[in-house]
Amino acid sequence: MDGGRSVEPTFVEKRELYTLMVRSRAFEETAAVFAADGQIPGSWLSGIGQEGTLGVIGQLRVDDYLTYTHRGAYCFIGRGSDPKRLLAELCGKRTGYCKGKGGRHIADLEHGVLGKSGTVGGHAPIAVGAATAIQNRGGDQVVVSLFGEGTSNRGTTHSSMNAAAVWGLPVVWVCENNGYMGNVPASVYTAVPDIADMAGGYGMSGDVVDGNDVLAVHEASQRAISRARAGQGPSLLELKTYRLRPFGEGGADLRDPQEIAAWQERDPIDRFRAHLLDAEVLSDAEARSIGEETDREMQAARVFAEESPFPAPAEAFVDLYA
Amino acid sequence: MPNLTMEQAMNEALREEMRRDPSVYVVGLGLYPSTGAGATSGLVEEFGELRVRSAPMSETVIAGSCVGAALVGMRPVAELHLADFAFCALDEILSKAGKWRYTHGANDGMTLPIVFLEGIGGYVSAASEHSQSPLGLYWHSPGLKIAVPTTPHDAKGLLKTAVRDDNPVLFFTHKLLTDEEGPVPDDEYLVPFGVAEIRREGDDVTVVATSYMVNLTLQAAEDLASRGVSVEVVDPRTLEPLDIEAIVESVHKTGRLVIVDEDTERCGVGAEIGAQVMELAFEALRAPVGRVANPNLPVPYSPPLEKAVLPSVATIEAAILATL
Repeated sequence: MDGGRSVEPTFVEKRELYTLMVRSRAFEETAAVFAADGQIPGSWLSGIGQEGTLGVIGQLRVDDYLTYTHRGAYCFIGRGSDPKRLLAELCGKRTGYCKGKGGRHIADLEHGVLGKSGTVGGHAPIAVGAATAIQNRGGDQVVVSLFGEGTSNRGTTHSSMNAAAVWGLPVVWVCENNGYMGNVPASVYTAVPDIADMAGGYGMSGDVVDGNDVLAVHEASQRAISRARAGQGPSLLELKTYRLRPFGEGGADLRDPQEIAAWQERDPIDRFRAHLLDAEVLSDAEARSIGEETDREMQAARVFAEESPFPAPAEAFVDLYA
Repeated sequence: MPNLTMEQAMNEALREEMRRDPSVYVVGLGLYPSTGAGATSGLVEEFGELRVRSAPMSETVIAGSCVGAALVGMRPVAELHLADFAFCALDEILSKAGKWRYTHGANDGMTLPIVFLEGIGGYVSAASEHSQSPLGLYWHSPGLKIAVPTTPHDAKGLLKTAVRDDNPVLFFTHKLLTDEEGPVPDDEYLVPFGVAEIRREGDDVTVVATSYMVNLTLQAAEDLASRGVSVEVVDPRTLEPLDIEAIVESVHKTGRLVIVDEDTERCGVGAEIGAQVMELAFEALRAPVGRVANPNLPVPYSPPLEKAVLPSVATIEAAILATL
């Protein structure tokens, strides 16, 4: 199998990637406040700490497809979705991406975000289907399918990996291994420490990457993506990472506080900013400017979500059938 | 008009739709090498292995991949063989295909044009996990259309309609009907969803039945005619959408209603149609609504046991006579 192509991100691409990470984090912090004060009526599962995944998502083409997990805003921010409509959806407003019917279950087909499965692992066969469409049309798009290490337990995951490999489909399976299913550590429910080892069972390459090093994620996923585009089939990447918030906003966190603090030191955004400042890709003033611009964007999203109307009850009765 | 079996008629429907629209493809188990039988027979020779995909042994992947492909503009047809096996993919069929569009607020005009082919029915000594007809289970769940053809003519016309529909369609064919022959027009035609067919006209009792139950009911109606009882047989052809108007109109004429369904009785097709008729035409009913169905048991293997559980001409006749 070809090793795949990997090119260092350009000066501009690094700054864009950093900006995506900052915007994703800012959206998460906004959502956390909205969840705490009840403006988000359902639950919100924060992805703070896992923004290294943007190393994959941030390099996708506009015509690529993404399926995602229950966790994190970076899946949308990285695809170009509008924070206004994202926050409005979480608030159950009619201006949201799903007109208030989905909440955390968001599709943004215009940006290739195919929607959210309520069952973890339910998105895996859907990724296979989107890749089937690409193959039948002779395209060179890819499907990136995110899942957690807990979801690696599900049969949907395994049978979908097998099908993608048998059919030689352009899927990049990305396991975000944050080490916990709720408050249960992975060793309790997963037979091998590295989910990437499962790749061997399906005849594809499997790489373990430091998920909190966004440039390492970018490099490894670039190889997998270029293989998929070249018709060389699926790959599995495992990003070792950690969520810095509880399983759900407002919920109990039973993990060791020292462990959380240690991972806080490895915050993917802090690490990338330090690298960019050190390499003089970014100045302190520019980093501040990105932060201020992001604050303005999120303030606008807050106002939009708050001022947007709820759907009329009659809207519950439309959209079932096309 | 040539005579075709239901499978041959469905094969024609798939072939015509695949020629018409390159986004139509079939995925399922054992699609090639072609066995020379079945609705998908010979398709791989004409359309190739990408459009006639032989899948790994995973109903989850077969059904779930259809959802993903449909989301990005394809029109997949899933060959799931038996409804019993499709239970392995209920999350994909009920919660993904059926609810994805609604849950995502029809984002960006989202459509899910998928056909799930599922075989149903007993009477073949196949025991509990190869004999089910779970129409009620699927009808219970929002977002799915349900076609249940009885004749080769309807199978072809309904299947072409199903492929062109922008919603997920469950397409149920009975084991004992797939090899039954019937006239199928040479010229292209479609059978619309939501339009019942009156299989036999009568004045005394309305019987609603689908699929193989129509054949049993027609036999019962013939027997009863010689005894002076005039039975009207209504075949809805699709349960979702349901042509309740045709059923209500018939009940207004006869004043009596029996529903025959091979599925388990509880929360089933008979319960639903009976309740709707009581809501819409209670004043027209001159007797309690009767149901003939599986009395909530797994389908047993041994012929005398299976016969005791599934509807028969005798039990249908008894239910009709009980309304008089």
